[in-house]
Amino acid sequence: MSDDPRHAPRAGHGRAPDVFRPGAWVPMREYGEDEAVDFVIVGTGAGGGTLACKLAEHGFSVVAMDAGPYFRPLEDFASDEAEQSKLYWTDDRISTGENPIQLGSNNSGKAVGGSTVHFAMVSLRFRPEWFKSRTLLGYGFDWPLDWQEMWHYYHEVEEALKIAGPITYPWGPPRPRYPYRAHPLNAAAMALAKGCEAMGVAWTETPIATLSAPRGLAHPCVYRGFCVTGCSTNAKQSALVTWIPRAIAAGAEIRDLAMVGRVETGPDGLATGVHYHREGRWRFQKARNVVVAGYSIETPRLLLNSATARYPQGLANSSGLVGKYLMVQANQAVWGKMEAEVRSYKAPPSLAITEHWNYDDNKDFFGGYCYMSQGPLPQLWANTQINAHGLWGEPLMQEMQDYNHQVGLKIVGEMLPQERNGVTLAEDKDQYGLPVPRVSYSWCDNDKALIAHSLGFMEKALGAIDATDIWRQEDDTCHLNGGARMGGDPRTSVVDADCRSWDIRNLWICDGSVFPTVGGVNPSLTIQAIACRTGDRIKQMATRGEL
Amino acid sequence: MKTKQAGLGLLGSLALGAIGIALFGREREAFPPRRQLPDRLALPLPDQRGAERLRGLRRGDTPRSPFQRWLGLPSSPAVSRAARVRAARRLNRSAGLLATSVLLDSALEHYRGSFRNPAMYTPLGVSALSLAASLHGTGDPRSGRHPFRSALYAAAAVTGIVGTGFHIYNITRRPGGFVWQNLFYGAPLGAPMAISLAGLMGSAAEHVRDDRPGTAPRVFGLPAGRMLAAMAGGGILGTVGEAGLLHFRGAFHNPAMFLPVTMPPVAAALLLNTAAAPARRDRWLTRWWLRLTALLGFAGVGFHAYGVQRNMGGWRNWSQNVLNGPPLPAPPSFTGLALAGLAALDLLEDEPDA
Amino acid sequence: MPDPGRYPGYDVLRKRHTPSWNDKTRQVVDARLAVPREPRFFTGQEMAMVTAIADRLVPQPRSRPPVPVAALIDDKLHKGHEDGFRGDGMPREREAWRRGLAALDAEARARHGAGFAGLPGPQQDALLKRMEQGGLSGPAWGGMPSKTFFKQRMAKDIVFAYYAHPTAWSEIGFGGPASPRGYVRLGYDERDPWEAAEARDGDAGDAQRKNRNVG
Repeated sequence: MSDDPRHAPRAGHGRAPDVFRPGAWVPMREYGEDEAVDFVIVGTGAGGGTLACKLAEHGFSVVAMDAGPYFRPLEDFASDEAEQSKLYWTDDRISTGENPIQLGSNNSGKAVGGSTVHFAMVSLRFRPEWFKSRTLLGYGFDWPLDWQEMWHYYHEVEEALKIAGPITYPWGPPRPRYPYRAHPLNAAAMALAKGCEAMGVAWTETPIATLSAPRGLAHPCVYRGFCVTGCSTNAKQSALVTWIPRAIAAGAEIRDLAMVGRVETGPDGLATGVHYHREGRWRFQKARNVVVAGYSIETPRLLLNSATARYPQGLANSSGLVGKYLMVQANQAVWGKMEAEVRSYKAPPSLAITEHWNYDDNKDFFGGYCYMSQGPLPQLWANTQINAHGLWGEPLMQEMQDYNHQVGLKIVGEMLPQERNGVTLAEDKDQYGLPVPRVSYSWCDNDKALIAHSLGFMEKALGAIDATDIWRQEDDTCHLNGGARMGGDPRTSVVDADCRSWDIRNLWICDGSVFPTVGGVNPSLTIQAIACRTGDRIKQMATRGEL
Repeated sequence: MKTKQAGLGLLGSLALGAIGIALFGREREAFPPRRQLPDRLALPLPDQRGAERLRGLRRGDTPRSPFQRWLGLPSSPAVSRAARVRAARRLNRSAGLLATSVLLDSALEHYRGSFRNPAMYTPLGVSALSLAASLHGTGDPRSGRHPFRSALYAAAAVTGIVGTGFHIYNITRRPGGFVWQNLFYGAPLGAPMAISLAGLMGSAAEHVRDDRPGTAPRVFGLPAGRMLAAMAGGGILGTVGEAGLLHFRGAFHNPAMFLPVTMPPVAAALLLNTAAAPARRDRWLTRWWLRLTALLGFAGVGFHAYGVQRNMGGWRNWSQNVLNGPPLPAPPSFTGLALAGLAALDLLEDEPDA
Repeated sequence: MPDPGRYPGYDVLRKRHTPSWNDKTRQVVDARLAVPREPRFFTGQEMAMVTAIADRLVPQPRSRPPVPVAALIDDKLHKGHEDGFRGDGMPREREAWRRGLAALDAEARARHGAGFAGLPGPQQDALLKRMEQGGLSGPAWGGMPSKTFFKQRMAKDIVFAYYAHPTAWSEIGFGGPASPRGYVRLGYDERDPWEAAEARDGDAGDAQRKNRNVG
């Protein structure tokens, strides 16, 4: 058996890798393909991994599939940007529109644990008003969820991930204390803090999903700074080391290197299972319920690719909204140099944050943004310099000499949902013979106004701490959301508040694609909170015989 | 794996225990008949203690201090020279342990801080000198204040206060000032007081040792036993505060982290009670609780050694984990203070109103 | 004597046997250092051209062995590693490189009568600048926007290759691999003994001494 998890599946034969002990295994229950499991889940990231755990712990039989490998972080992860690109979803995709977005490393993971294996761990709650942004703030769409209920599920996720955060959070309604204490600030974070103090806005330590103290067999963070290329310490509380081990312990089966190409529907119109590619051939897993949790590109793509004569527009798409209203988040930055050494390659990149402009409504645009300190590693930094700063040749080499003095602030900004932004199928085929997704994205005027505001503010904040050579990185986006949004009306949404599709009652969508709006904070905590809620709701519905 | 780590922790605590016992043991050579080492860890028979106490006791009247009048205490009688020296040497030992803890802890923490300010060498020098003075005092059977030791101890006490000033300054210049982040990760506010405590205990030793026939032992003009009990109790509370802060920072992720915020406070309460309450001969609970607290200080080193192993790379990654993991030299502060408390008890048992 | 640089005497490879490197990292970096210099994807002529372009984008000092940028890109294309997205009109990575190099060479021949690799530096720079601005659009591009090829493909692959190499890490004072050992000192002007020391105020001696002891 090959030791490379990218070439041969690791989960199987009654066991799965023990991510906490080198070379060790944990027992794993397995299900036959002809045995209709209660739930087959497509994707094991923030949505699918979390839901697999919740459903298994509620006693359902669960098979969760991921197209990516089952990594053992302690052994498989190098401290190396290039090598760790193995965590990204690098299957062919076409990105177009007026402002085409970057995919791959930016927002797409291909591994058991999904993109949480390389996410930046920033774990923020939505501002309560955002769940009713149309009614309360006048833009976007209302969610069919109540913020107070979400507050409860945020807490559940924060406990499950032992989020390290500040003692008191400066914005929004009171929240319970974070389970672990905040990490020490690195110089990059101190720069943010000083800038905020100079600008008269609040700042705090970023609540992040990396351990500030030991937990079980996971080690605390060693501040190695390679967070977004995968944590070899297990301090990062990714789905791979949190929800998935729990799911397996509760009886779920994980299938790695299992690419689902099609959701099958029966004569009654209900989903009957999934076709998936594993170990060189196509297979079929029967299931009583199918959950699609492939994130905002792969989820719509799978639903569209599963079209039948009965569902010619693709599954769950009577509203025509599958693949529509895709949202990314603005990710612009302002960079400068400090006289002192900053060495922002140390520690998690975003240790300090201000959410001031998420909670201050005195702005001439809709939505809000937070901004955080940054710590790009050399490859990423050089690419930013050549691509966004336009430096090459001697000027680039000179600029790179100042790597250890660079300091930067970067936003996560709310972009408005637009029907034109979305995912369709292209002519080209991928390695499985499936049509590749074509992703189109264009900014609207409000997006541009938000970006302009943030760049202006951050530039002042950097200037206030005597940074020099300040410049703006104007073209970057992050985090995917939307594409199969939830709502209260089958005509204007794909799923209901329980992530259940309006059209096919045993087809569920549970990932970031259900977001009607995107908010001005990183989405992973909200995705996981929704998954926790969905798990509980499914249990309630099953008890009442409503499945 | 776990047993191996626990074993390492045990080894660590045994090693430090051995150092501690070596400090304990120095007294035995100078005063062979007094109390054998094993006796210190076993409950002496009451009548045996009583006999010893009678032998070491000589009464005499001294005027009451304002403190005694305020508390309604009787005037302090005099205690024999031998008993005083014995108590003084115990206090030297306690100061020595505290100084050792400060020496190692400040060396580690200030190394971590790259000695960016030359003043950061000060606690190393001062605590090393205090340690030397304490070793000298522990082995010194003579009565009477030793001028060099006294001066060194006074310097140590002042160093702690100045150090606290530096640490406050460090916190104020970090972003946010007095916020949890800086209390957790800035210069530790409580740490410099440990060297002040060492200085105070040492100064107390010199006071107690100071031979003025016919007077009761006094520390800073107050009855020595009670004063020392109060100082040790207060010191323990301060140390509990620091351990509590840092264990809170560690989210009390291991239940053992509750030990230093539960056991020592009881010891402190018992000591403060000893300092303030009417004289009583038999304080077996206080004595035993202090002994347990002293042991906890050593056990803490073991726990912390396990904590280092528990971080990524374990002891193999010592150059990071000894600095980022739980501080190995910190817990023996409890031992030093508990020993001071025991010395206070001895003084009081030798003379209930001292 | 060559310029000792900002981090005199610092070599990130000195940490190879310290707790800063784990087995996986050693394996990966060893393989990179041993990357075959003979092309497996590119033709010899393409390889020479990539080297010429890399010399303009990430010029290297003559005082040390150069980072084999072209070989690293050849290795990546040979193995078929991709980014996971491409712009409209962009072919997949291998095809993009083939076509882009051919088109650039054709532009060079059309304008200067010689292949790109044979042009003097300033002429090469001028062509690359036009490409960066999207000003090249001859038939050899086959509809591929030259600007997109420059930014999304060529420049990106070149800087990624260069900054994947330990020599480049040493040059900019990057700490390099860090697992199991990460970092302790995180604040301004704080340096762990296993990090590069910067020569400041012209005092290279102190930095050199520290950098020799990095480990």
